[in-house]
Amino acid sequence: MVNEYFTLHSYGGTLEYYIFELANFSALAFLALLVYKLNYINSNSLIAWLAIFFTPLVINYFVISPGMFGDQFEYAGEVMSLKATGTSLETIALFQYAQTNPITLTAKILGVTPLPNFMTVTSLAFANKFFLFVTFLWFKRFFSNENEVLLYFLIPSLILYSSMSLRDTLIIVLSILCIINLIRDRYVFAVVFLTPLFILKLQMFSFLLLYLVARVLFRAHIHSYLFLLFIFVVMIGGLIMEEQLLEVLNLYRLAFAAEDFVGLDGSVSYKAYNIYGAGLAESLELSSLADAIFKAILNLPNFFIMPLPWNWTNIFYPVQAFESWLLIYLYVRLGMKQNLYKNPEFILLTFILMVGSSIYALFLFNEGTFVRYRFTLYYPFLLAAFYLSSKSHKSAKKDQ
Amino acid sequence: MSILKKINLKEKISIAKEFFLELVFVKRSLYAIGASLLLSFYIIQTSTPLFSVTSTLREADTATSSPSMASGVATALLGGSSNSSGSTDTFHSNMDSYLLAQTMWSKGWGSKIYGNGDLNEEYFNTIPKRHSLSDRLGAFILGYELHDYFSAYDLQGYIKGTMGLTQRQGQTNITISTMTTNKDFAMEFMNAVILETDQYSKQRLIVKSNEIIAATYSQLAVSKNSSISSALANTINSEYFKIANLKNDLPHLLYIIDPPHSSEYPVAPKASAIFLSSAILFLFASILFSFIQKNKEDLW
Repeated sequence: MVNEYFTLHSYGGTLEYYIFELANFSALAFLALLVYKLNYINSNSLIAWLAIFFTPLVINYFVISPGMFGDQFEYAGEVMSLKATGTSLETIALFQYAQTNPITLTAKILGVTPLPNFMTVTSLAFANKFFLFVTFLWFKRFFSNENEVLLYFLIPSLILYSSMSLRDTLIIVLSILCIINLIRDRYVFAVVFLTPLFILKLQMFSFLLLYLVARVLFRAHIHSYLFLLFIFVVMIGGLIMEEQLLEVLNLYRLAFAAEDFVGLDGSVSYKAYNIYGAGLAESLELSSLADAIFKAILNLPNFFIMPLPWNWTNIFYPVQAFESWLLIYLYVRLGMKQNLYKNPEFILLTFILMVGSSIYALFLFNEGTFVRYRFTLYYPFLLAAFYLSSKSHKSAKKDQ
Repeated sequence: MSILKKINLKEKISIAKEFFLELVFVKRSLYAIGASLLLSFYIIQTSTPLFSVTSTLREADTATSSPSMASGVATALLGGSSNSSGSTDTFHSNMDSYLLAQTMWSKGWGSKIYGNGDLNEEYFNTIPKRHSLSDRLGAFILGYELHDYFSAYDLQGYIKGTMGLTQRQGQTNITISTMTTNKDFAMEFMNAVILETDQYSKQRLIVKSNEIIAATYSQLAVSKNSSISSALANTINSEYFKIANLKNDLPHLLYIIDPPHSSEYPVAPKASAIFLSSAILFLFASILFSFIQKNKEDLW
């Protein structure tokens, strides 16, 4: 069931809105009951997932206005348009050059979810929940303690972002599937899950591609010498391609800074940048890779612990600030657990995470955007570290 | 084979079958669907059909500010929007302005929205206005008075709240849209808003030109330098030319490409979606009730 006129009417906050979305909740909750009955999940998971499935109903139009994350309307509008007419929205079709638009691909993937209807801006959030639930079912089979796995799926940011019609959950799910399959040496599956990220999130694709190369070509996860060789080759490659790398980094830096620009007349974003941003490119320019590394190191602590109290501007920021510390603690704790930090696989994983974080730290201009980007990057690596600490991984390695 | 054995498909199918027989294919589900039908009928009967009314306009002045190279790339990278031309911005600001609302109020549009449509000024300036309890409480606590009658402020809020203006990226076409229960009135009102906004823009420029002319004349009266006098005279001529250009019936900021028109059928509420959704909702409620009854011990 679709709403052909989605762009015109989103049923925001009306009785119809709640009926449509409660029907979507009911479909997912029914699935959870069935899965529980089939003994795939325990009663704690059942109750937790019923609550998780319900959260989209209390985020949009209740806790926040969906306009606060305005991209939701684009994703929801696109899925309505694709289902109703088979074509993209005109505004999105204009930006489809050689490759598929990330919004279109997200809408196509999330649109296959067996939900009763896609009528409002919140419908895709239930599709996100579905994908997250399937990931949980797949991921928990590597662990003996299901409740411990469940706790990792109760992280506030994961619940928040998966309760909205955004592509972040899809990126997180694909990244988790890609990384875990890489660790399990299932390279074909890893590549299958990596490919859509090229369109959905080029940055994430690049970081995971680096991980794939490190494992497949350098076998950097086996021994520290091979890991050092990998770093050496990366550094040499970086120096050879310094100019091209700096060009890309400077472009992204400028793009993110321009997006966050505030003009003297109160205008914002690119409009303000067009008028007042003449000297911005020069002031932000990274002159060398050493300069980029230095600036990344300076920004890295801020990147990991933001949003800082003086930047708290909405209800979610204090929770996310606390959560950022919690996530760091969890990663460090997992690393310390049974001396995992000595494991070359964990070292490589952490190295890739640090590379990704350092690059993001260079673009750190908008708190809200980068709190979201950080979580999308960090969470799959956290689950991967959790997987590495699991007994099933260790026993699988022993068998080899 | 080993995977199938591990999954134990036969057992799972039998459990699923049992689940459906115990919880789904029961009498209670039929009652639930019956109740959902009643609710759906009630919702559909009580909801008002909404029509979509839209109009397409095109900028009369197509000279737009060209975005810089860097912002173009930035836009492509981040999917942000940088297009915003002067005419559209001016039109949007004028459309949402209090002065436009005042002009339209004086022409009796407030009466058509809040009253019985009587164009007598004495009537439409005294249409009584009801206030919510929270408004009254707020006014009492903060010590200000609430208006007893509807005014141009309400009309301004109505225009802002109901008329949406969108412009596609890189395009000069603009779409004005609204959702309404009374499509005839909405079309008439939208047309009036477009024409009055354009007219208001013209009047503002005429006032500006008149001011420039008056100031220039006073300068001309005291000027003794022939070249300065000549320049001032040129300014006066050009401002008179502007006024002559503005005092006609042609559109100034935007041309109407497609006049306000309504969707043929209501776009909301969608009856089939309401029936399906409420059926699923009630059916699930029934399943959940039975499930909790049968698994109380396991769950708590």
